[in-house]
Amino acid sequence: MNKHRTANPAGPHGPTVAPLRSQARDSAGAHDHAAVATTVTTATSATAHRARPSASPDHESAADSTGGVILKAVGLKKAYHKGKHEVPVLRGVDLEVRQGELMAVIGQSGSGKSTLLHLLATLDRPDEGEIWFNGQRIDNASTRQRDRLRNRQLGMIFQFYHLLPELTALENVLAPLMITHGYFSYRLQRRKLVERAKSLLETVGLAHRLKHRPRELSGGEMQRAAIARALITEPQILLADEPTGNLDGRTGQGIMELLRSLNTQSNLTIVMVTHDSAIASQADRVVQLVDGQVSDS
Amino acid sequence: MYKFLLCWRYLRTRWIALASIISVTLGVATMIVVNAVMAGFTQEMQDRIRGILSDVSFEARSFNGFRDPEYHMREIEKIVGDEIEVMTPTVTVPAMLSFQLHGEWNTRPVQLIGVPRDAMEYASKFRQYLQHPKHREQFRFELQETGYDLRDRFGGEEAPLRVRMEMAGMVHRRSMIEYRRQWEKQMAAQPAPQGDMPAKAGAQPADAVADPFAAAQVANPFDVADRPIDPFAARNDNAQADPAAPLTGCVLGIGLASYRHAGAEHFLVLPGDDIQLTFPTAGTPPKAVSDSFTVVDMYESKMTEYDSSFIFVPLDKLQELRGMFDRESGTTFVTSIQIKLKDESRGSIVRDKLQAAFPPHFYSVSTWRDKQGPLLAAVEMETAILNMLLFLIIAVAGFGILAIFFMIVVEKTKDIGILKSLGAHGSGIMGIFLSYGLSLGLVGAGAGMVLGLLFVRHINEIRIWLGKLTGQMVFDPSIYYFYEIPTSVNPWTVAWIVAGALAIAVAASVMPALRAARLHPVEALRYE
Repeated sequence: MNKHRTANPAGPHGPTVAPLRSQARDSAGAHDHAAVATTVTTATSATAHRARPSASPDHESAADSTGGVILKAVGLKKAYHKGKHEVPVLRGVDLEVRQGELMAVIGQSGSGKSTLLHLLATLDRPDEGEIWFNGQRIDNASTRQRDRLRNRQLGMIFQFYHLLPELTALENVLAPLMITHGYFSYRLQRRKLVERAKSLLETVGLAHRLKHRPRELSGGEMQRAAIARALITEPQILLADEPTGNLDGRTGQGIMELLRSLNTQSNLTIVMVTHDSAIASQADRVVQLVDGQVSDS
Repeated sequence: MYKFLLCWRYLRTRWIALASIISVTLGVATMIVVNAVMAGFTQEMQDRIRGILSDVSFEARSFNGFRDPEYHMREIEKIVGDEIEVMTPTVTVPAMLSFQLHGEWNTRPVQLIGVPRDAMEYASKFRQYLQHPKHREQFRFELQETGYDLRDRFGGEEAPLRVRMEMAGMVHRRSMIEYRRQWEKQMAAQPAPQGDMPAKAGAQPADAVADPFAAAQVANPFDVADRPIDPFAARNDNAQADPAAPLTGCVLGIGLASYRHAGAEHFLVLPGDDIQLTFPTAGTPPKAVSDSFTVVDMYESKMTEYDSSFIFVPLDKLQELRGMFDRESGTTFVTSIQIKLKDESRGSIVRDKLQAAFPPHFYSVSTWRDKQGPLLAAVEMETAILNMLLFLIIAVAGFGILAIFFMIVVEKTKDIGILKSLGAHGSGIMGIFLSYGLSLGLVGAGAGMVLGLLFVRHINEIRIWLGKLTGQMVFDPSIYYFYEIPTSVNPWTVAWIVAGALAIAVAASVMPALRAARLHPVEALRYE
């Protein structure tokens, strides 16, 4: 399986999609496929983009085929302070993420890949440099604007899933919407929003786990719930921090395939941080981070 | 929305927080109970203190009193006529009470108060404290046949039975005289060394536990009869015709007529017995005069100070005995005028007006509060200090909440990071913990309120139950003169207590909530 992937780095293209999906989800595959297409529609026209890779199957690497730059980092620097010592983590990272691509950032532990992702996700502010999202500078935006951005336009998944233990899978998925809407607005639209969350959970293969608490779910199931949560607000970009890092190979591969299919079906832009080259090799494009800088190799 | 959901989930899953709120519950409950009891106690005290005190009393500084009360009342009327409901002239004088007990004379200092014979207008509550139902309706210094209350009116069924009160009244008087006649006959037939010897216990008939000599004066009324100013000269004739005819009536404070021993009341004097009173005349120098009176009723206000020192006698009788009248002009003297106001709360205004109008070196004007000011102030002070201390208990509970909330914030650090990564704003996170604090406060204060009010409502049952459980009287009526713990719930007090507890719970959650709101999302996410 992995062999097949590595041998075929341009995985997202037409022919491979069907077997991938059938491995991840057996019989319900066809139905899920439709669900992904209908529910996870991003701002851009999904169908138009999906047509493109299949039209040019031989196209090398992710490159320009996917669309314009959606997220851009320019000269990012970040250091942590431990006592009097300054520990530089990022030493000037330049990065461009294009619309519709699945990009992997790989690097050793301590190379700063997680920090980079946190900066991109506006969870932290860079010491120097700029981050542009959809042509807007976001690194120096106000806290409230950044909160809004995280809530509505960015989706995040983590190595340790980070589900809220007090809430059920369904409630976890609904959490971002609860944050978006005020009490009354949520109450009014509750039925609609719950329907959306349910169909999304169905898409990720968790239709039978709606009322379960995170501790009653397996690692793979938790990560699927986390993906559903990240997608509920129909974000333009999904930022994944070691999504398979805490899962065994087979489960990790399942998650990877889910991400892949989301990318292809809905043209979801995904930036994924990983240290696993096998996982990274399934991406459209791989960026290597060495000592806080993008390695050219 | 997520605030309420998470707040609710935290409430349901964090029992430790509920434990922290128990201290608030107990604090609120205690404060409500203590306030209710203190308020009940204060009210009861005020009622008792008021007892016979009128709203405003206008008094002469001299025991000799002032001349012509009618003139004074007219003058007072001119100054504050609009405020006054009724005025009553009285004479107050220190006196000695003597009564015979087992043949021996018993003498005690008392305060003698002369009130008009109908006593209708004398202080509003005077009649209410009497022991005969008829006297409570209308009082005329007349001895009733029988029918005096058998129990303490304020004690209800719980009060011990006053067995001897059953025969009080004319019945008692006649049986005493009959008994005495028998006794004298016996003495005559079998000459004893002295007729006035104390009775031996064995000589008394079993049913008459009462002192057979209480009525001794009746048989020996000569010193009374010889007094020059005796408006009741006819009475002595009657006395000879019917030895059972009562003398001038008087009302005895129940504390003078009885004593408590081992929790039980023992009566020394009953309505129907005679007593002797000695007091100074109004002349200079004062001379002691004495006269005999028949106890027609007893006065029980539960205010020991009054119950064990006051004796009420008819005003005109006292004036005559003390020589407080002027034969030529026909005017009388009184020592004070008791004023009942239409609106009690205007007492101090009336007092100030009267003080300004009458020469202060002759007259003193005071409200009932002035007279018992220190006592009332002490009770108020006590309530205030108790409240302060109890509120400190709730404040201490607040620190408990603070600590536990900090703990919960630390425990939930990761969740806070997650929420922030999902786009929750700091204020939203703060809202979770503030509403958590508020709802815990609501639960705690609400439970405390219910608990406290239930306790107040059933306080006497709890007292009885505790008494049974421990085998000890928790609240001994013979000490406190209450048969039930008095309570009075003031809704405003309860509201303030609950509001205070809520404020403390919220205030205690502010700091942890702020901390939660300020957590850095990345660090919070990394937190393990």
